[in-house]
Amino acid sequence: MDADKKRLQKELMTLQLNPPVGIKVNGDHGSSLTTWYVEMEGATGTLYEGEKFQLLFKFTNRYPFDSPEVVFTGTNIPVHPHVYSNGHICLSILTEDWSPALSVESVCLSIVSMLSSCKEKKRPPDNTFYVKTCSKNPKKTRWWYHDDKV
Amino acid sequence: MASTSESEGQKEGDDPEDANKSNPSQDGTFECNICLDTAHDAVVSMCGHLFCWPCLHQWLETRPNRQTCPVCKAGISKEKVVPLYGRGNAKQEDPRTKVPPRPQGQRTEPENNGPFQSFNWGGDGGFQMSFGIGAFPFGLFASTVNLGGPRLPGAQPGTPQFEEEQFLSKLFLWVAILFIFWLLVA
Repeated sequence: MDADKKRLQKELMTLQLNPPVGIKVNGDHGSSLTTWYVEMEGATGTLYEGEKFQLLFKFTNRYPFDSPEVVFTGTNIPVHPHVYSNGHICLSILTEDWSPALSVESVCLSIVSMLSSCKEKKRPPDNTFYVKTCSKNPKKTRWWYHDDKV
Repeated sequence: MASTSESEGQKEGDDPEDANKSNPSQDGTFECNICLDTAHDAVVSMCGHLFCWPCLHQWLETRPNRQTCPVCKAGISKEKVVPLYGRGNAKQEDPRTKVPPRPQGQRTEPENNGPFQSFNWGGDGGFQMSFGIGAFPFGLFASTVNLGGPRLPGAQPGTPQFEEEQFLSKLFLWVAILFIFWLLVA
């Protein structure tokens, strides 16, 4: 088994045996393990309490040296200043601040935490333009990380 | 365009109890932070984080101009990681046959604190001193006393280099004499 598959297998096992609060990995991933769907709930006491979201993870065979491609998918995309209506997330650890010591679990927790610190539900100011012009793969976007408050 | 830099949730390896819960048969303390397996050809960074050397090497190659520790983002480099040698790894194949080789362990000589050890005349036993008047570059009145110190060996007589050195020393002698003469006249 290749190193990337082995690590993904390990992560999957850990997440299924011992999932963090509000995070659930869908069981069926086929044999390839390159596409994961992760269910997550908005944390209690935040603007997203009671909402359910779905994240789509795609891994290349360079994982974990290469960051996974992570987008919100499904019917409910959170309304958040760093989440575009097509599901793309502006989060530095998904591109330039990625580290191989991060994992699916830590990415999920970061996203829950990003949602939790939101004070006002609104789309990014350039949402319409971005959604019209962006690539399908959010990793091809040149993100400009400037706002670390939310 | 809007974004955030979330501080990552560092989970694995931080909490041995957690690791034990998910993996009851194994102790997570010696797992590589990259492949999450028990570290082989292990190295540890100055910040104390454990990796397989092949894993860490691949990460350093991924970002050659921004080499940071995957766990804590401290600066890290090939020279600044320490290999760990456990006991009883004789059966293992030599890690150097695999690419990339592990960095060498560093061994410093014990310090010798005997009396007068650090007080060394001229470095190699000779006694050297020089004194002079005048600011650079007019240090022509400087004289040099050089007793017993081994000098750089000059060229052997007869070789072209010897001739050249003789010529140069004569030339500089004449320049010095002319300069002194000019100073006296002026």
